[in-house]
Amino acid sequence: MAAASFRVTQDDKGRHHVQLFGQWSLRAPFNDFAKLKKSLQPFFADNFTKWDLLEVDQLDAAGAATLLSSWGNKLNDNISIKSEHAELFNTLIGLTKKTDKKARADWLSPLNSLGKGVIQLMHHFAEFSRLLVSLLLEIAYLFRQPQDFPWREFSANVYKSGVNALPVTALLGFMIGIVMGYLMSKQLHTFGADVYIVNILGLSIIRELGPVLMAVLVAGRSGSAMTAQIGVMRVTDEIDALTTMGISRTLRIVLPKVLGLTFVSPLLVLWTSSWALAGGAFASNLELGISFRFFFDYLPLVVQPINLTLSLIKGLMFGFVVALVACHFGLRIKPNTESLSNSTTSSVVTAISGVIVVNAVFAILTRGIGV
Amino acid sequence: MPDRPKKNCVEQEVICDLQNICTEFGDNIVHHNLNLKVSRGDIIALVGRSGCGKTTLLRHIIGLTKPISGKVLLFGENMHAMERVAQRRLMQRFGVLFQQGALFSALSVFDNIAFPLRELKQFDESVIHQLVMHKLALVELEPRDAKLLPAEISGGMVKRVGLARALALEPELLVLDEPTAGLDPDRSHNFIDLVTQLKKSLGLTVIFVTHDMDTLVSLAERVAVLEDKHIIADCALHELINSSHPFVINFFQSIRSRLEGL
Repeated sequence: MAAASFRVTQDDKGRHHVQLFGQWSLRAPFNDFAKLKKSLQPFFADNFTKWDLLEVDQLDAAGAATLLSSWGNKLNDNISIKSEHAELFNTLIGLTKKTDKKARADWLSPLNSLGKGVIQLMHHFAEFSRLLVSLLLEIAYLFRQPQDFPWREFSANVYKSGVNALPVTALLGFMIGIVMGYLMSKQLHTFGADVYIVNILGLSIIRELGPVLMAVLVAGRSGSAMTAQIGVMRVTDEIDALTTMGISRTLRIVLPKVLGLTFVSPLLVLWTSSWALAGGAFASNLELGISFRFFFDYLPLVVQPINLTLSLIKGLMFGFVVALVACHFGLRIKPNTESLSNSTTSSVVTAISGVIVVNAVFAILTRGIGV
Repeated sequence: MPDRPKKNCVEQEVICDLQNICTEFGDNIVHHNLNLKVSRGDIIALVGRSGCGKTTLLRHIIGLTKPISGKVLLFGENMHAMERVAQRRLMQRFGVLFQQGALFSALSVFDNIAFPLRELKQFDESVIHQLVMHKLALVELEPRDAKLLPAEISGGMVKRVGLARALALEPELLVLDEPTAGLDPDRSHNFIDLVTQLKKSLGLTVIFVTHDMDTLVSLAERVAVLEDKHIIADCALHELINSSHPFVINFFQSIRSRLEGL
């Protein structure tokens, strides 16, 4: 057997005879049907060409379909085929794609998609509030049955999203502190207001930057992990398995994640802010010659302690928002890879946006306090 | 195209040749100097107790993993010592049905089957449509199933679609990992019939792993028993009775009654 080939002869009336040989099949490793089709194109275009397939050794669906599509999906008298191949051709003709009716231009489609978007958004809100309510109910239940508290999962989450996040939050906090300290000391130095670096860095880092930086990192780090984990648990039916054991999924999966992250976030805020301040102190020491001793002695005098309280409250809220959003998107994942990746992306994006919105609202509510 | 053996010796052509395979996972030695030959046209079953390395052996054959020592020759060539284009061409000569189907979950049934065809870049969409519909009909699925996503179809259908995808490039060798696991007896019976029929009409060679006795008895022409890191028996099912190995005797007890019914 040989690869697919053809030979063209011309009779006295000027008509072409195309004779096909060899394996017209994907099995023959060196066949390229696209090339064959291209080189046969002039003969396909000519209605009077005679086709002779009697010498073909092997013909499979791929070869037959390629020929058939060029013949306009029908056989005629100019085509002679082996009887054993006729059945294949007839089957394929029966499977021809029916051309869809042309869709009319739909002027309402933008409105449609807008409506769909709104409905989807409402679904999100409904499900999110359902999750929130069931979480609160579980907490209420735990007040009556404290022994059911999932301590093991809680501590695992504290460890995973808290302790394991220490190095990265420290590093990023320190570097941002250095950058801010460096830029601000440059500006302040031109006004001779060197000492105000402590005020600016202290207030901005403790009140704003520390909590937000922590929340962004945690959303990217732990939020995405939570969504993906819950998603895979859904795909592999683990959540259903839990339910059949009489264990509430909110209690065992959502609650430890939310409470764990809410518990550990204020601590992470403290940690991140401290490193950012250290970075700022380091930069002002280099740029302005302010000693560390002075920096940290002066800090509590110019930044009111209430700011620290506000920052810890922010930490609590951000941790809660990130974890709850992560669980919400995790529970919506459908069992396919596309949904998993979409939901994880949405989870991180929504968590960060949510944190920024909450931060803005909180900033407005507390605008008179501590500044 | 390289010369293939002439028709009269086609029966003897060795399609898959495993030579002195050794596999270890950490301290666990799975295969030790294992040898196996599969000839063109065979339907060979790989049996053995759970965890004895059957699936690992299949993965060696299809080139997903590489044994620590020994050679895997597929169609007479060593897949790991080839250049990329030739390797790809070799891989198009066999089709694999994974235990869970391994359908691309983001693609519809149609796109799953069309995927290998589109990758060839030789066909236009109308031809691909015909070919996919042809493969669907081959595994006895309805054209309307083509639009469904893998998550929306039943386990039996997943296997059929997986088979259709494995058959899309007209392979010579079909590798099935637990083809009937998770199917009800009726479905698994149909599936076996389907494979047997396809084997006949397409001239396939089939290697499969199974734990299911019915599948074994009704599908396998040859049985390779993997035990003690070796292939301890490689013969037709009814010849297993002559073996004196305790595992085979034990194993044979369970299928004796079924064989007597044949």
